[in-house]
Amino acid sequence: MDNNELLFRLKQTVGDDLAVLETINNEMVYAVPVEKWLNVAALLTKEWGNIHLSAITAQQREELEGQIEVMYHFWQGQGITFVLTLPADHPEIPSLIEMIPGADFYEREAAEMFGIYFTGREATPHLLLPDDWDKAPPFMGKEIHD
Amino acid sequence: MTKNIIPIGPQHPLLKEPISVNIEVSGEDVLGGSLRIGYVHRGIERLAQERTYVQNVHLIERICGICSHVHTTTFCYAVEDLLGVEIPPRAQYIRALMCELERIHSHLLWIGILAKHIGLDMVFMHSWHNREIVLDIMEALSGGRVSHAANLIGGVRFDMDAEHESMVRRKLQKLGDQLFGVLDAIRTDPTIRARTIGVAPITADQIREYSVVGPVARASGVAVDMRRDSPLPPYDKLDFNVITYPEGDAWARTMVRVDETRESLKLCESILDQMPEGPVTTRVRRKVPAGETVIRAEAPRGEVFYYLRSDGSEFPARLKIRTPTLAALSLIPVQLSEIRVADIPVVLAGIDLCIACADR
Repeated sequence: MDNNELLFRLKQTVGDDLAVLETINNEMVYAVPVEKWLNVAALLTKEWGNIHLSAITAQQREELEGQIEVMYHFWQGQGITFVLTLPADHPEIPSLIEMIPGADFYEREAAEMFGIYFTGREATPHLLLPDDWDKAPPFMGKEIHD
Repeated sequence: MTKNIIPIGPQHPLLKEPISVNIEVSGEDVLGGSLRIGYVHRGIERLAQERTYVQNVHLIERICGICSHVHTTTFCYAVEDLLGVEIPPRAQYIRALMCELERIHSHLLWIGILAKHIGLDMVFMHSWHNREIVLDIMEALSGGRVSHAANLIGGVRFDMDAEHESMVRRKLQKLGDQLFGVLDAIRTDPTIRARTIGVAPITADQIREYSVVGPVARASGVAVDMRRDSPLPPYDKLDFNVITYPEGDAWARTMVRVDETRESLKLCESILDQMPEGPVTTRVRRKVPAGETVIRAEAPRGEVFYYLRSDGSEFPARLKIRTPTLAALSLIPVQLSEIRVADIPVVLAGIDLCIACADR
């Protein structure tokens, strides 16, 4: 499946809410709504089998106040990144571990560092933080630099 | 039969770094296992946001005590991409030379650890003895055995003169002469074969399901190598083989690293042959223009992934690092079944744990 066909299939799956963003260092970047995320992941795994998930990056952008951005970086002969935007007061996103078991560690890290809830899986036990960590998720604390 | 839990770690003589593995056994049979990491979590991704790009090169170097150079290389290429700067060709080749030397030293370290775990101290001593030659080269070039501080944003910190080059060639020749006999012996040694052939096989499907990378993936026949698939300069100009073995067992994981050590030695030679003349640094601005980038590089353990976003200041707005060991670690609970207690060290060593990398 080349880029044009992927775009066509994504449009079929997501509809008008799909946004093609600027490439990042030759990586294709698509923004998809959270409601359609499982459909998109199903499309990817159906087409490519076990697609390689390089990482999940969560972040807060200064220009998007009150929102958390989650990026899924895949590799399938080239980099393909999907961007999802969640409300910071209740960031909830479906888990991919049923389709991509390797997503487990990355989801757990995003959960503990940004307070993201991954639905459709039992729990997200701490990956890197201690079990008795009782402070806010480390990346959600106040910024050091203004 | 009763079931027992064997706790290994966080502190354990088997492990060089802290990790906790609880292994469920019944007699000599391993039934399953669970894993806990995070004991050396230093919060480097968050700390990076509080340091300038220049300071971050030194912070990033301390992610790992083995593959420190590939981390700074990836980070510097990411920053240079945002700056829109291409470093001089000679600096690219020096970066690659250090990367390949690092791969040789990492693989030799691993071969030694495997040999030690299965009680073959002779091979352990030979491989670590030879590894010293590589560390000597890296020290002579950069001044550091483990933390080389070779990279700057905009190039490398040191140049090589003719004397350096002949020293590196001489030592690599000596290393090859001494090492190839050991590597051949590993391939044919009955103890290593008995302890690794057929032990804890990983299928290519499992590799893909868990997004595992590097030598572990290549030992299961999955030919992924970011030096070929997403080459940073100058790997697009270098010729090398991506080593794969189809078996997927501990034997294949050993052989992949044995063959890659030879391959990297050849690569070092071609890097020296092709190294262009010229400067090794270029001037860059302290403030990095707003933007984001993704860089993938091949560390000794596989694909290392960096995402970097700048908001236009001297400080990164977000730095995401995914290290190859983190992906491989998720395989440990899968592997800890249908093996014998005596195979546990071979399984744990087999994926080449680098806990400091995984925890960051």
